[in-house]
Amino acid sequence: MEQSLAKRTLRDIAAVSVVGLFMFPLLWWALTSIKPMYAIFDKDRVVWFDFVPTLINYAVVLLGWSRAELAIDSGSTFGVGGTSSYDSRQTMIDSVVISVGSTALTMMIAVFAAYALSRIAFRGRNGYLNWVLGQRFMPPIAIIVPLVTMYKVAGMRDTDNLFLGYVGLIFIHALINLPIAVLLMKSFFDDVPKDVDEAAMIDGATRWQTFGKIVLPMVRGGVAAAAVLCFIFSWTEFLLSLFLTTIIRTVPVKISTFVTSTGSEWGFISALGTAAIVPGFIFILLVQRHLVRGLTLGSLKE
Amino acid sequence: MVQPQQLMAAQILPRRAWLPRWMTSEHPWPWLLPASALMIVFGIYPLLYALWLSLHKRNPVLRKNVFDPAHNWMKAAADDRVWDAIITTFTYTGIALAIQLALGMAIALLLDTDRKGYGILRAMMTLPLVVPPAVTAMMFLLMLDGSFGVLSRALYETGLWSPQLPILATSSSALAGVLLADIWQWTPFMVLIMMAGLRSLPKEPFEAAAIDGATATQAFLRLTLPMMSRVIAIAVLIRGVDLFRIFDYVKVMTDSGPGTATETLTSYAGRIYFTGDFPYASTLSLLTLVLVIVASTLFMRIFRVRL
Repeated sequence: MEQSLAKRTLRDIAAVSVVGLFMFPLLWWALTSIKPMYAIFDKDRVVWFDFVPTLINYAVVLLGWSRAELAIDSGSTFGVGGTSSYDSRQTMIDSVVISVGSTALTMMIAVFAAYALSRIAFRGRNGYLNWVLGQRFMPPIAIIVPLVTMYKVAGMRDTDNLFLGYVGLIFIHALINLPIAVLLMKSFFDDVPKDVDEAAMIDGATRWQTFGKIVLPMVRGGVAAAAVLCFIFSWTEFLLSLFLTTIIRTVPVKISTFVTSTGSEWGFISALGTAAIVPGFIFILLVQRHLVRGLTLGSLKE
Repeated sequence: MVQPQQLMAAQILPRRAWLPRWMTSEHPWPWLLPASALMIVFGIYPLLYALWLSLHKRNPVLRKNVFDPAHNWMKAAADDRVWDAIITTFTYTGIALAIQLALGMAIALLLDTDRKGYGILRAMMTLPLVVPPAVTAMMFLLMLDGSFGVLSRALYETGLWSPQLPILATSSSALAGVLLADIWQWTPFMVLIMMAGLRSLPKEPFEAAAIDGATATQAFLRLTLPMMSRVIAIAVLIRGVDLFRIFDYVKVMTDSGPGTATETLTSYAGRIYFTGDFPYASTLSLLTLVLVIVASTLFMRIFRVRL
């Protein structure tokens, strides 16, 4: 069907404006992060581009510059006396450790379970799949109260031991991501013909050898896609990271502490917020091809 | 050529004597053990513990829990805030689902073409999905700020909204503000899935319909929608469950306020948790779980959809 030029142009305009509308909050956010304070809090007008861009917000948040000195340098006393609680270097490290750790743990556990669920026929297989799916649908809030107690008893919550804190959050993020990883990896294993396994086993490989040396390497792309999704979900997780630790502040939790009743430091918030978005952007562009399958737990393929 | 004898030998040889029999056999449990352990220790056990806790009554003076199975559930049934929270949660889920589904379908139809440049637009459309929800909440908190928020000001200047009523601080509009953040973040989810659904449609029925003189609207209603029913059902199921357990946006943007205008079940449970009444908090969070299970099971039965 040939469409007329006018119709095509109209469609182009509509498409660009819709996507532009969805990009606006991101643009505004990034713009806020390089604005000096006066441009953010202007009560008389909206400041679009007529300001002197500054990276001070990033310096405070990511490099730990003291904001008191900054305020005095710029001739204002606004915010002087505040603590250095905007320094988020430790937060970034914590978030990376937890996301990478939980992704690794999830994937290590998930590939085995997914392979068995895809290949080995056993009684209760459907029941097991329902259990995994149920785990995905369970609201995290349902287990938060006992978990807090468990974590307290295990010394993973109110502790000075950063390592124990990491372990605690890594395990709980792994629990949240496990169903996604298992169901997604199962769908990738299902794509590999069973003949491959049978051929390998006729040639004398055991199940474990077939899995490790032949089938797993064939689904490398799937492993990468699942790992990226796990990383993103762990990186953005909020509720459990908020309740289950008192020493670790992951990025989303840290940002939420920047909102105070006396006024929020939007420059710092948006700087850390922008920095928090960047890894996700890079990763998601890498897995565009498997995104639909990942988001639907392997039930829809593109 | 492989000789039959060689083939048989190869089948027998690699069995490792030092591995126990169940490790080398076709038994699934060694494969499922790590996953099961994680889901039992961090999933099932806390769930049973929460259930056990919900059967106890909190004594705030002695700070002890006394066994009293009916207490918390009766309390929840008689608690007006619980009913309000349930209504708010269902309202939120329903409105967000409807808008995201309709918008998602419309945008998917708009972007689903092979023409140049649309690939970039489609890739850009996925970006909101990776923003941490807490950061999304912050973005909209900034843009909806009563005095310097850019969206608020746009509304004031066009006369659509009065500066006397800051959007997030007014009971009648606070939920709409939270919904806006949710819709921005998750409409792309629907767009992606609908686009995948549109791609998978066969061409022939549409060609036949065009020959028979069907309009685009007729083709959409009679062909596209029915053929995509499974895709739509899956998208609604996954999104619906996630919407029902909404926490981040409400917590960050309004903290259930003003008053209890945006209080959902999860945020009410969280609030009870901070008062120290752990048994009642457990009861409310289990109530959320029960509602999710009932609603999703019903949905899967009625629409005959399986993930």
